[in-house]
Amino acid sequence: MRFDQARSMRLSMSWLHTWSGLVLGWLLFAIFVTGTLSFFRNEITFWMQPELHRVKTNGLALSRAQEILEQEAADSPMWIITLPGARNPTLGLAWRADAPRPVAKTTHSRRGGEARGENYGNRHEGGEGRPQFEKNNASASAAGNTTSSRPGMKRLTLDPATGEALTARETAGGDFLYRFHFELYGLEPGWGRWIVGIATMFMLVAIVSGVIVHRNIFKDFFTFRTGKGKRSWLDAHNASSVFSLPFHLIITFSGLLLLGNLLLPSAVQSAFQGDSRAYMQSVRGGNTPVTPPSGERAPLTDLSALLAFTEQVWNGQPIGSITVNHPGDRRATVELRAANMDSLMGGRGAARILRFDGVSGQTLDMPAVAPPSIVQSVWNIQVMLHRGFFASPVPRWLLFLAGVGGSLMIATGLVMWSIARAKAREKLSFGHRLVDVLNVAGIAGLLIAIGAHFWANRLIPADLAHRGDWEIKVFFIAWSASCIHALLRKRKTAWIEQLVCAGALIAALPILNALTGGLSLPGSVEQGRWLLAGFDICALAIGGGLLFAAHKVMLHTPKFRVTKAASAIDTESKLSFPDFAQLQTEEPA
Amino acid sequence: MKTCFEWFAALERHPRLNPGLRVLMAILGGYGVAWLGAAALTGLPSASKSDAVTLAMMLTFLLYLVNVLWIFATATLLRAALGLAIPAALFGGWLHFAT
Repeated sequence: MRFDQARSMRLSMSWLHTWSGLVLGWLLFAIFVTGTLSFFRNEITFWMQPELHRVKTNGLALSRAQEILEQEAADSPMWIITLPGARNPTLGLAWRADAPRPVAKTTHSRRGGEARGENYGNRHEGGEGRPQFEKNNASASAAGNTTSSRPGMKRLTLDPATGEALTARETAGGDFLYRFHFELYGLEPGWGRWIVGIATMFMLVAIVSGVIVHRNIFKDFFTFRTGKGKRSWLDAHNASSVFSLPFHLIITFSGLLLLGNLLLPSAVQSAFQGDSRAYMQSVRGGNTPVTPPSGERAPLTDLSALLAFTEQVWNGQPIGSITVNHPGDRRATVELRAANMDSLMGGRGAARILRFDGVSGQTLDMPAVAPPSIVQSVWNIQVMLHRGFFASPVPRWLLFLAGVGGSLMIATGLVMWSIARAKAREKLSFGHRLVDVLNVAGIAGLLIAIGAHFWANRLIPADLAHRGDWEIKVFFIAWSASCIHALLRKRKTAWIEQLVCAGALIAALPILNALTGGLSLPGSVEQGRWLLAGFDICALAIGGGLLFAAHKVMLHTPKFRVTKAASAIDTESKLSFPDFAQLQTEEPA
Repeated sequence: MKTCFEWFAALERHPRLNPGLRVLMAILGGYGVAWLGAAALTGLPSASKSDAVTLAMMLTFLLYLVNVLWIFATATLLRAALGLAIPAALFGGWLHFAT
């Protein structure tokens, strides 16, 4: 196809689809895979702390937690107690250890559009109950040897049944994968986010141009011809794309929106005359200042009683966390927050909250929160989907599956670029060889790196200083090694060896887990610990899938032979390379 | 004048510069229009200022997408450039006169 000649719309779009998808395709694959895993980042982090696997789940030692906090954090302006739930069976304590902030700036934890807190380039402090980034540094003892993952916050992990402080290894956890998916690693956060933002825009263009190229989206979904070379790859690409097309569109578009203020600062500049702080205030709108402390001491009411009361009022709806403002003061308040969101449209603020006077235990009125506007609802739905902000497992698994579909879509697309051009070419051009190497290292190599990351989590001594950083180093060392390997080996052997390596690393994770102190798969299934069993079963499935793929590559023999005639045709049609639109219209042989 | 026209026609016919220019127009030109658009579209009527930002952002990314598609779909470089120039002029005018 040539742009200086007459051409059809579909041909243009096919060109655009091919190149916008290819240029940053490997980066997009990495973003999609790590992003997909991020739907389960709490679960992954939990798996990576085998010391916590055997916590008892019968009973809730909330009174003990309150005692510990009263001892350790009597002067703290805020406590947050995270109750054990479907995604984390431990009892988490966190408290603000720094001096109280100026009262005027302290705001309620109920925030209408808090989901946008992070889209600013610089993180803002104070998202209650938000899973912490950095290292999950849970090693601590009740004697005061607490560590903090964020300046100003100290945290402690308790066994929910006994209230005993648990000591878990430091780990980069699922949070490394989560942060990698939107700001990469080792770059200034702004740079990483810009790169991811640019890649996301390419993705959006690739998806929409790909949709335009298709004539029969519906039919393609049910079409799969195996063993037909590039035709089969195309079918696989189509099926994985169409299977969750709405997901791909929303996840990509909302990804752009989440980075929107960084990528297009002109909107805030124009509406707020560049005052980004005023913008943040406006986004969080509806906040009322927390009542300032009186300075008079008064004992805090029994939290267990408030919990029991709330459970009754909410009819057993699971409770996620308890926030205590100004504990020990006469004007202390306690907020109990539901674990699940009531609506997708309400944003983060949609979780139910019950508020109590911290001394008398009387319920207090919540300030009325205006329902979100239409624009805000549209935003919230997308962002909530992107971040999986609803706790029930079924939609979370659907999001995960859709993410896997998206990863397959990118991988098959990248491989197809190479296969569609491999025809009868005796010696590969530099560009073609480059794509082949990047395909192996970007697809199989990334999975090796992720597998190695989990292995490092278990093999690096649990008490090594900065071991979380080492886990991350191992990830990048493994990835670099796979790049070098892909350069040195022939395409087919490189694919086989790396797929086998990735498959073996990942499929063996349940065994590694059992051998290095984790709760083994039979044990976790028997005890109904689906959090752990889910990780191990997924590892088996994904590892098995990769080994199967390696087996298929091994059996594969190219159908065509290099003939003189074919090479001649190839050189002749150098500029009109076999392209996507042609493939789509070609009848299967 | 005539040489200028010939020069333009030569660009149009060039098998590599033609798509190369389209790529540049799509990435940089598209971003420029999006930048202006994000600023101008906050002027749309909406419930609050933060809503205005949100709305402008969503519309702008869609506009960027449509711009890119247009630049590659349209027949000539001139039409591709017009696809950028017209919204840029509209937004620029809006920003200049309405604020």
